[in-house]
Amino acid sequence: MAANATQGSQPSVSSNGAPLLELKNLKMHFPITTRGLLRKVIGHVKAVDGASLTIQEGETFALVGESGCGKTTLGRCIIRIYQPTAGVINYGEPDGTVVDLATIQGKHLKPYRRAIRMIFQDPYSSLNPRRKVLQIVGEPLIRHNIASGSELEDRVADLLRKVGLRPEYILRYPHAFSGGERQRIGVARALALNPRLVIADEAVSALDVSVQAQILNLLQDLQAEFNLTYLFVAHDLSVVEHIADRVAVMYVGKLVELGTRGQIFNAPKHPYTEALMSAVPKPDPRLRDAGSRIRLEGEVADPSNPPSGCYFHPRCRYTQDRCKVKEPALRDIGQGQHVACHFAEQLQLKGVAGM
Amino acid sequence: MSTESSNHMGGNSKVFLEVKGLKTHFFTDEGVVKAVDGADFRIQRGGTVCLVGESGCGKSVTARSILQIVDRPGRIVEGQILLHRSNGETVDLVGLSPHGKIMRSIRGKEIAMIFQEPMSSLSPVHTIGNQIMEAILLHFDTDKEEARTRAIDLLKRVGIPKADQRLDAYVFQLSGGMRQRAMIAIALSCQPSLLIADEPTTALDVTTQAIILDLIKELQRDLNMTIMFITHDLGVVAEIADEVVVMYLGKAVESGTVDTIFHDPKHPYTRALHKSIPKLGESDKGPLDTIRGMVPHPFARPPGCTFHPRCDSFMPGVCDRIDPPIISLDEGADVRCLLYGGAESERPVSLESKEEG
Repeated sequence: MAANATQGSQPSVSSNGAPLLELKNLKMHFPITTRGLLRKVIGHVKAVDGASLTIQEGETFALVGESGCGKTTLGRCIIRIYQPTAGVINYGEPDGTVVDLATIQGKHLKPYRRAIRMIFQDPYSSLNPRRKVLQIVGEPLIRHNIASGSELEDRVADLLRKVGLRPEYILRYPHAFSGGERQRIGVARALALNPRLVIADEAVSALDVSVQAQILNLLQDLQAEFNLTYLFVAHDLSVVEHIADRVAVMYVGKLVELGTRGQIFNAPKHPYTEALMSAVPKPDPRLRDAGSRIRLEGEVADPSNPPSGCYFHPRCRYTQDRCKVKEPALRDIGQGQHVACHFAEQLQLKGVAGM
Repeated sequence: MSTESSNHMGGNSKVFLEVKGLKTHFFTDEGVVKAVDGADFRIQRGGTVCLVGESGCGKSVTARSILQIVDRPGRIVEGQILLHRSNGETVDLVGLSPHGKIMRSIRGKEIAMIFQEPMSSLSPVHTIGNQIMEAILLHFDTDKEEARTRAIDLLKRVGIPKADQRLDAYVFQLSGGMRQRAMIAIALSCQPSLLIADEPTTALDVTTQAIILDLIKELQRDLNMTIMFITHDLGVVAEIADEVVVMYLGKAVESGTVDTIFHDPKHPYTRALHKSIPKLGESDKGPLDTIRGMVPHPFARPPGCTFHPRCDSFMPGVCDRIDPPIISLDEGADVRCLLYGGAESERPVSLESKEEG
């Protein structure tokens, strides 16, 4: 079942051709203030600093990068936990109308909160320990006046069955479940309102490998069954390679590369993408000293005080004078692959196969 | 069996630490949690042993048992932990009082430990320098001035820039990678013979992880340290281990060289672990092989082989009755699985059971 839907890696575009989600130059700057009464603003942490991307209906779009690169903030802007500082979040409704979520406020957001749901990282801290499974999974149904009473119980039991949990567990508390089962509860809650887009923020990072495989398979099965679109925020590249159709790589609040899974993993064009993939340990001791290892020196740049020019230039091994002064724009280099590097065409970078 | 005894058995100067039949149980109000319930392995002098397993399999408790820092209500109930010093002395750490003078002189000096989360295992109210100097002042007869110089050297050694200034920094002022370097500096302050690293890179980004792994390997070479590395990441294991111990529900189910564990794994659990991880460069988006079911509750361990409800090679009537003994195979690998023998004494089974040599 999973294979059928995912094999056709060409994402199905909705009837009018508009993408499900389109971000244009999205910015999320958090002010840094002085202490005390006046709270004078002395700077900004540019967590997301001009991100543009489109997500087509039915695809799995992955956002990767090191901690602090802004990938979680980007996800939270889309679901409007944050009010973005600038930019456009165009959401394409099934009937063809396009709505800018960044400009909508308060209760007017409610219908879109049904369509875009989130799965959180840590199944231990994201479920309220004092609520029963019925209340946790049923809460969105009550909030949106969809079901109550015995109908609510039926629908929650049905959701539990879909995510592979026994419906008899409906009156249990989260502590009675293992990590993998809790994450299934989180998935059930996200699916309760039949969403179109699910943002999975490091949804499998906290799980053990054997359980991680179960949840990844579950997410793929559910995608095939309900034609879900995933925005998969993750730092584990082997998981991303397994699940994603398209991948965007972030570095200090900016997208540095965007392309299909094959382009990013086999033919990366940005030096940061290459370095990131080369750092992943290969699970084969015979490859231990084979190939060239790239070690990134220094630390991730400070998003409140980024370097000049290309943010990556102090750690880049191909850096040239131009990189220090001129900031590269994210540009199309053909076949849908976008790169923010002055020398994308000249560099011969290695994909995972060559490492 | 013959190669076994000459290579690994006690009395051999190559073995640094031997863990024999270790059992560490936690006596809680609800019942006994057998966190470690039969761990057997050896660590070669100057080598790197990786302890792998899922959360709750007892890898951290095994490490804490070696240092005798198991929190109450846990305690070591059985087994031996033999420390073979280079001068020929052998000490059984289990026999020592956790608070006694001898254990305190070993802890930190002969055996040091790096913990997983530097932010929560370092003190937030002491400077990095104070925390490094504490160990030096405790174990060596030096004054503060000299301890400070040594602390600065250590910070330089682990690659912290501007070491003389960073010595007076607090933990919150350092980045994740720098914190972990500071933690390594503390562990190295007394030049330990054995360094136990409990998931030292799990909380770090891949790029930082690669650098910290390089640092640990380099320090091991230079200081001739023995390393026990605890992780759940098979990629990290492939990168640094000489030998691997796979743990499941408190038992060491398989141990062997890193090459046998990755290219000729014997235990069905080890095989299943390999299949369930997505591998970079080998993705076809098909469903992953999973290990069915989940890790059983600590109070409801299955009888017989504890892995049998999730095992693909489950033999009804055998695996659910007999607790598998340790079988030593020719290649120097030990495995706890009835496929390789151990069931004969109970009743004959018609299976291709490999006998020990």
